[in-house]
Amino acid sequence: MIKLYDYELSGNCFKLRLLMAILGVKYEPVAVDFYPGLEHKSPWFLQLNPLGQLPVIDDDGYILRDAQAILIYLASKYDPSAKWYPTGSPNLLGEVCQWMAFADAITSTASAARLHDGLFYDFDIEACRTGAHRLFRILDEHLWFGEDQGNDWLCSGSHPTVADLACFPYVVLSEEGGISRQDYPAIRRWTDRVKRIPGFRVMPGIFPAGPGPKTT
Amino acid sequence: MNEAAQRIWHPIASSTDLPFRHTYHGQLLGREFAVWRADDGYVNVWENRCLHRGVRLSIGINDGTELKCQYHGWRYANRTAGCTYIPAHPADAPARTICNQTYPAIERYGLIWSAEAPVGELAYIEVLSGSAVFPLRGIAVNAPAKLVMQKLVTYQFQPSGQIKGQTATSQLLSSSDDSCHLAATDGAHSTTAVFFVQPVDAGRSVIRGVLAETPADDLKRPVLYHHNQLLTALREQVEQEFSTLPQPAPFAPVIAPPSAPTLPDIDFDSPSPRGRSAPLRVQVSKKWMTALDIAAFDLVSITGQLPTYQPGAHIDVHMPNGLIRQYSLTNGPGETDKYTIAVKREAASGGGSLCMHGQVREGDVLAISEPRNNFPLRRDAIQTVFVAGGIGITPLLAMSRTLHHSGLPQTLHYFTQSRDHIAFPEILGTMAATVQHHLNLSPEETAGQLRGILESYKPAMHLYVCGPGPMLEATRKIADDLGWPEPAVHFEYFKNTNEIDDSSQFEINLARSAMTLQVAAGKTILETLRENGIELPSSCEQGACGTCVVDILEGEPEHHDVFLSDGEKQSGKRLMTCVSRAKSNRLVLDI
Repeated sequence: MIKLYDYELSGNCFKLRLLMAILGVKYEPVAVDFYPGLEHKSPWFLQLNPLGQLPVIDDDGYILRDAQAILIYLASKYDPSAKWYPTGSPNLLGEVCQWMAFADAITSTASAARLHDGLFYDFDIEACRTGAHRLFRILDEHLWFGEDQGNDWLCSGSHPTVADLACFPYVVLSEEGGISRQDYPAIRRWTDRVKRIPGFRVMPGIFPAGPGPKTT
Repeated sequence: MNEAAQRIWHPIASSTDLPFRHTYHGQLLGREFAVWRADDGYVNVWENRCLHRGVRLSIGINDGTELKCQYHGWRYANRTAGCTYIPAHPADAPARTICNQTYPAIERYGLIWSAEAPVGELAYIEVLSGSAVFPLRGIAVNAPAKLVMQKLVTYQFQPSGQIKGQTATSQLLSSSDDSCHLAATDGAHSTTAVFFVQPVDAGRSVIRGVLAETPADDLKRPVLYHHNQLLTALREQVEQEFSTLPQPAPFAPVIAPPSAPTLPDIDFDSPSPRGRSAPLRVQVSKKWMTALDIAAFDLVSITGQLPTYQPGAHIDVHMPNGLIRQYSLTNGPGETDKYTIAVKREAASGGGSLCMHGQVREGDVLAISEPRNNFPLRRDAIQTVFVAGGIGITPLLAMSRTLHHSGLPQTLHYFTQSRDHIAFPEILGTMAATVQHHLNLSPEETAGQLRGILESYKPAMHLYVCGPGPMLEATRKIADDLGWPEPAVHFEYFKNTNEIDDSSQFEINLARSAMTLQVAAGKTILETLRENGIELPSSCEQGACGTCVVDILEGEPEHHDVFLSDGEKQSGKRLMTCVSRAKSNRLVLDI
């Protein structure tokens, strides 16, 4: 069974729990005391990931780090429909990779602001928040024009992809870093849609959505 | 500080910001709103604050009929914003005074408009009077509305028909503090646009543009992009300029506490002889025969918004012939635009059902009381069983519809004489999987069915029964035999058929009012209270509905009602003042 080196409050760990819940993949979480224990910087963990970052998976001896990389691995291996990581379409795949990189930018701004506010990290909080708002404006505009064309998701297909799951957690947790989403109504609607994906699960700070439009 | 601005209607959202089952986070002049569209289309604009712990309702769940707070699950009804359910108190009906602040909403020009204290109607805008207006993407700006407006009046854009050109001239047709009309002309092409600036807070705004005409289909997207690009550039300029200016403090809107519950004032000078008030005036908007001998009535308000109700609630209807009767509301959750009741024609009627059937017509105005709920529905049962007999369907229909809407486990057993006697078949048809009809059964056959229905009680199951007295008695007896504990069995009688011996006389001591009164033979406690100026709400005044209940502090009551369960009667802690009396010489009551 897959082992997930996991921290309950980590959005990057959550996105893997989320994908595995959606795909019905069983896994065994291994709790890592990220805060206050700094276990992800301990010698045993640095052997798994010399970067000292969560998450890491161990799939029957195959060890992989980096949340976005693990999303791609899990989707490629465990989603036979190949919708979550659409290798069949070069255009769509390009978009997925583009938004996966965007997710990293969200992590370095919105997630950093949350670590500053919640776990007392020494970051330039104003720079984190300004950076997140800049990204959110771009994201909101993209989603608004997407909706106008009937697109529900970040990429242009009719099915959500790992890019949605990669961007979702630190967007929806942004208020824990003092970043309001009030000015981003299209982002707020997209987070409702992500929450309505069958198999969706929550984590502390991420609330469920109610029943939405009936899907066929 | 913003008093003038608070009187003016402002756009607070785009119509497309309120899709199905979404809750929008709005703000105007510093005041935050939770904005949501119910499934019936109604746009709710509420204070963005749960009355319980102050959590933002904009993160709440819009279930199409109610908004549910994410924190502890308090539910608030469409239109009224009244609380309908508190999960921590599943057995109780929330007080009517638990009601959130609402603000008016108007949907026009593809925008949602509101105001804190509007004076007058939202004015019509001549250039947007056509049906084909075209709203642009709203642009949030981190700058005060005034500064944004100063820039907007010089906004230069291409007319929709000449979107790729660069030679248009824009002309300012008119402007005010919060909107401006512009026309762009390029050769033969011309487009008129109106831009509104929503003052979100002291240093934040949203530009909401509307074109007077919708572009041709293939031009819609280029036009949207065109304005989005230009307005984004305008935003950069304004924000740049604003960043060099002193930053204003955010507005500090006053959030009024919910109005405190008011107890009826005791007016010793004018004791009320009747005591049953009917403050609401409703018009019969529709009357129809929903089943054989059962007339249904839709009642719409002519005196403002109808109050919040919960499933199980009833109203008093004051009839043209002077009688007062109680009818359960059959409405589903959030159906706050009307009350729907049903009345069975009774051969042995005291005149109430004959009046409703014979005299009351569509268009008539009736006086009704506010809804009261003495038959509240729990929503935490692992399985809810409803047993309805005949017209007893009415409160249970409202309950069953509520559970059905939330997808909670239940079965509605409906006992009737024949198919023709089934009331509201069109509603029951929408939840066919939860309804079981039992037609034309003898009392013995009914008892047999009930034994089957009730045979496997499990903890946290709940039973609700309403119907004719003998059926109700039989159901309660069978439930008791089959191990249903008393608190799991909830019932409502239509009327009290007990013979009441009112020959006793006794003293009542009102602990909180510091009064001692004598209840004479032939008088009820309720009448005695009223004659002495003590107001107490009442409804059926025959010991069936539970409205006039009071707590007993001392003394032994003699119960004559059909509202309390046997255990409640034995405990001697409460009585119905309309029928109950005393076994002891004195009762001390908590009023």
